[in-house]
Amino acid sequence: MAPEDKVLPIIAERGSLADGDVVLPAGTKAAAGWEFAQSAALRIGSILSMILVWWGMTYFFPPTLIPHPIETLREVVAIIGTGDFFSEMGATLRRVGVGFAIAILVSIPLGILMGTIKPLEHFFEPPVILGLTMPGLIWAVLAIMFFGLNETSAYAAVSITICPMLAISLWQGTKSIDKDLIDMSTAFHASPWSKVIDVILPQLISHILAAIRYGLGLAWKVVVVVEMFGFSNGVGYQVVRGFNTFSMKAVLAWAITFLIVMIIIEFGFIGWLESRVTRWRPKIQAWRR
Amino acid sequence: MAYVHVENAVKYFPREDGSNMLVLDRVSFDTEEFGITCLLGPSGCGKSTLLNAISGLERLDGGRVEVVSNGPASHHPSPRLGYVFQDARLLNWKRVEDNLTFALKGMKIPQAEWPERLNKYLDLVGLAEFRSQYPLYLSGGMRQRVGLARGLVIEPQVLLMDEPFSKLDQLTARRLRQETLQICERLKQTTVLVTHDVEEAAYMGDRIVILRARPARIVDIFENPLEPNQRDVDDLQFIQFKKTLLQTVLKLMEKEGTS
Repeated sequence: MAPEDKVLPIIAERGSLADGDVVLPAGTKAAAGWEFAQSAALRIGSILSMILVWWGMTYFFPPTLIPHPIETLREVVAIIGTGDFFSEMGATLRRVGVGFAIAILVSIPLGILMGTIKPLEHFFEPPVILGLTMPGLIWAVLAIMFFGLNETSAYAAVSITICPMLAISLWQGTKSIDKDLIDMSTAFHASPWSKVIDVILPQLISHILAAIRYGLGLAWKVVVVVEMFGFSNGVGYQVVRGFNTFSMKAVLAWAITFLIVMIIIEFGFIGWLESRVTRWRPKIQAWRR
Repeated sequence: MAYVHVENAVKYFPREDGSNMLVLDRVSFDTEEFGITCLLGPSGCGKSTLLNAISGLERLDGGRVEVVSNGPASHHPSPRLGYVFQDARLLNWKRVEDNLTFALKGMKIPQAEWPERLNKYLDLVGLAEFRSQYPLYLSGGMRQRVGLARGLVIEPQVLLMDEPFSKLDQLTARRLRQETLQICERLKQTTVLVTHDVEEAAYMGDRIVILRARPARIVDIFENPLEPNQRDVDDLQFIQFKKTLLQTVLKLMEKEGTS
């Protein structure tokens, strides 16, 4: 990167501003575009190198064990082409989405309450910690045995598995909020609602985003397991079908379509959300020259 | 306008072992009306506790604090107080102007008055062109200006300032003191300013209340012989007044055996 891109122009001082008053602008448009291109190139490079490793492995294993990347890609295209993809992926996404929404609605208030009210913290700590240590597979088995093989068991398994993780993250985040800002809002007579919306939640936003990321990762894993148990649609079901016919190509192809959707959600939706809600924070550039 | 009347203020803090520590020992004084009253004392002497008692953030164990208003009776049950903190304490995720509307909203100022007030007070502190900037993109001095504007925008009966310049570099602090003095003078703003800096007290205070530490007790009250526009840190008269204050504080510290 050219050094002049990094120089922050100092806004011309007005008469009323002291010498110490220097403004750091958000960065010029050109520099931002260059940064974006650089980060995109690194990400694409990372994915390409993974494919390269895969391709290299095809020379050492028969195609029934490691199918060729191009062959697998053809299979991916075929899956997407048949239209199966949208109904199967749609079913899986719906299960994750509903389970995730329930978990968010429960865990955000729970985490904030645990972080702010001592007795609630003591009361809810054991179930949250226990819930966290319980493997998702066991939740999946319990949910199916309890609700039977229907959508409810998928929703329940997903939400119960990720709820403790979300709650812990919010609980710890709430403990680290700035008490001076709460005092400030009290001094200016802010209402309890305004304290939550204007003062507490914005301080939790990075905790919430991190929790959403981890939560989604967990949710995908659980939902696939639930679907493997005997659902008749969804990505997990398709993977099991590939397993039963010993088609490594089909298993990998479904896994890849799944990854593509996850990447779209991660970089598209969550990335967009993050940049929107953290606009106010100057970017950290710890290693810049 | 208004002034603050403090009468026999007593405050205890509980110690670890269960006993009580006296923090405020029968503190009584009246603030200036229209002017700046400085509470001057060593660090940790209970000045901030006193300020918090005036603001209502802290409850007293004895005595009373009253904001006496001579103007038309306010229809608010509690007096309207503005607060400027040591560190700016801004909501960094809100733009400069939204930090001010946060205070306006809390104090239930009718929304129709907001635009006019934002213009007036952002202009007064010299931040008109930075109103839609986020605080973390501003320097420390400018953030403190936002804090000052937030304290003023609610048009408080009394403005409370808790060592507002102590975290700034010397030049910025000097500049901001001068401007704050001019602004308070122009608005005829009744202000209570807490400080441990003798020069700051001599420069800002129309009345200077000197407190000793542990427990806080009033030692002396000085009236500033110089009008705000006459005060100049390099002027001989100013230096003499500062010396008088300094000697009182030093004598006090000697007696207590603290340094």
